[in-house]
Amino acid sequence: MENVLEWLETTVQRLPEKVAFTSETEDGTDVEVTFKEVYDKARMIGSTIAKTDDTTPVGVFSARTATTPILFMACVYAGRAYAPIDMALPEARIGKILDNLMPDVILVDKESFSSFAKLCKDIYPDESWDVVVVDFENATIEKYNNSNYESPASENSLEDDLIKSDLLQNVREKAKPSDPLYIIHTSGSSGRPKGVVTSHESLINYIDSYGDVMGIEESDRFGNQSPLDYIAAIRDIYLPFKYGASSYIIPKKYFMDPNALFTYLNDKEVTAVGWSVSALTIPLSLGAFEEVKLNTLRKICFSGSVMPCSALKVWQENLPDALFVNQYGPTEATASCTYYVVNHVVDESEVLPIGKAYNGYDVFLTDLECDSKVITDEDTEGQITVAGISLAIGYFNDPDRTNENFVERELSDGTTKRIYKTGDIGTIHNGVFEFHGRMDRQIKHMGHRVELDEVECAANSVENVAESCCIYKKEKESLILYYSGDATKRDLSLALRELIPGFMVPRKIIQLDELPKLPNGKIDIKELEER
Amino acid sequence: METKETIIEILEEIRPDVDFENETSLVDGNVLESFDIVSLVSELSDEFDITIRPKDLVPENFNSVDAMVKLVNTLVEE
Repeated sequence: MENVLEWLETTVQRLPEKVAFTSETEDGTDVEVTFKEVYDKARMIGSTIAKTDDTTPVGVFSARTATTPILFMACVYAGRAYAPIDMALPEARIGKILDNLMPDVILVDKESFSSFAKLCKDIYPDESWDVVVVDFENATIEKYNNSNYESPASENSLEDDLIKSDLLQNVREKAKPSDPLYIIHTSGSSGRPKGVVTSHESLINYIDSYGDVMGIEESDRFGNQSPLDYIAAIRDIYLPFKYGASSYIIPKKYFMDPNALFTYLNDKEVTAVGWSVSALTIPLSLGAFEEVKLNTLRKICFSGSVMPCSALKVWQENLPDALFVNQYGPTEATASCTYYVVNHVVDESEVLPIGKAYNGYDVFLTDLECDSKVITDEDTEGQITVAGISLAIGYFNDPDRTNENFVERELSDGTTKRIYKTGDIGTIHNGVFEFHGRMDRQIKHMGHRVELDEVECAANSVENVAESCCIYKKEKESLILYYSGDATKRDLSLALRELIPGFMVPRKIIQLDELPKLPNGKIDIKELEER
Repeated sequence: METKETIIEILEEIRPDVDFENETSLVDGNVLESFDIVSLVSELSDEFDITIRPKDLVPENFNSVDAMVKLVNTLVEE
């Protein structure tokens, strides 16, 4: 197994007409995509964007629909990594991601095109990139260039005659397992997003290990919660290719309405989910299970933040035969690196371990002060550190931060490894890891990674804000921003919406005459946390 | 304070970028996100001492300020 396309190609032989991906339109009709459609259309679009010896990444703007995986696979057929970007992000944020990528070709679906064209007029008035717009409904593909988005430079039907078999074969022959597969942008404390580059072999190793732990099979039906541009979506995209199973892309609005969510899962006979912790806890806080029960779900993996056992217990009581797995790991280690199979009904006060390393993953603890010293003593705190095949290639176009975070170390156990330090503190007990918190101010909010520094950095750049401090109230899952200065709360909130993604904008903003200080002049974060 | 004004105040704190007086498709039009609904349900429950049940969480009850006023009034009476 060298390339993720092998999964798709094997499955399409076996199950060409089986539906791989399903999504729902605004008016409630299903959009279905079969394995054969993924295969055929990805090769058509891939042929359009493939160039001999050009392996630079492709930016992809697409909606939350069943056709989006086709665009990703088109990039893979073209021998280029895909970098999914959410059109709903603020312009300034998308600008930072595009500045990092500087792609020479961008794939856009019809649904995203008008917003994309507007964005380009606003912030990239004369870029030379090619923009390829795919309209799946009408089966057309248009090319725009020289920043002219009024009329296409070329227009074709999405048909077999677009496929350039020789070119695709040529690209494939040159492909290596260590080639970049995708680039996913994540929060960076300085306000510049980091583009984590992951290879085919890392992804293959993760999907294989995850599939084994969860007991995934062809009859499984996945309920996708993660945004498709986000790391957690890789399971819902690649597990169908490997196993011939199906994914259902759940409309976002159902997560605010537990009855609608559960009815959807029952109707689609969803059997397996890999969700963020908050996707499981929020429905409970909104009364899930009280009026509608779940009938088919039996494999549940959760990750992204610490699962409160009070919530897990409710899930376990309602689904006594289901498998529950706690998963842990950073984007830099291909989604996750450890897992813990919950083998008993939990007690409310319990803290779940993060478990042991997935097959093929090298996870260990290093001394908090000295990163070359491996900690082997039971129950001694250290920094959770990852090495081996699951490590990302690095941050795209960012040698400084890559060299800072992915370092080669001669370790105290005599080995030399390229390691990634997660910034998480943990202990190990009988080979099982426990998570004890962060070394810095990164938090997990509703499944998203948020650097509190980044929120403050954005707030401080707003006119008439003197100082700011962002804290996270875990029990209420809310971000709170304290600030001083003459800006009104409203102006600050509006300005933040232009700078950072919606999930990072604090829903509570509090103006103070002055922020509390420690004797050394630094902001007293503890005092604010206790308010 | 009138129920409506209190609700608008809560909403404006959560999402000052939205014109709540005139919007009638807050949920169906994807104006409010799940983050907002979670904050909103918790604030409304505290403020009016009510319990919002899953069956109340349908878009019709949250699409406009007037709909929310109606929902809150019904729940207060219960």
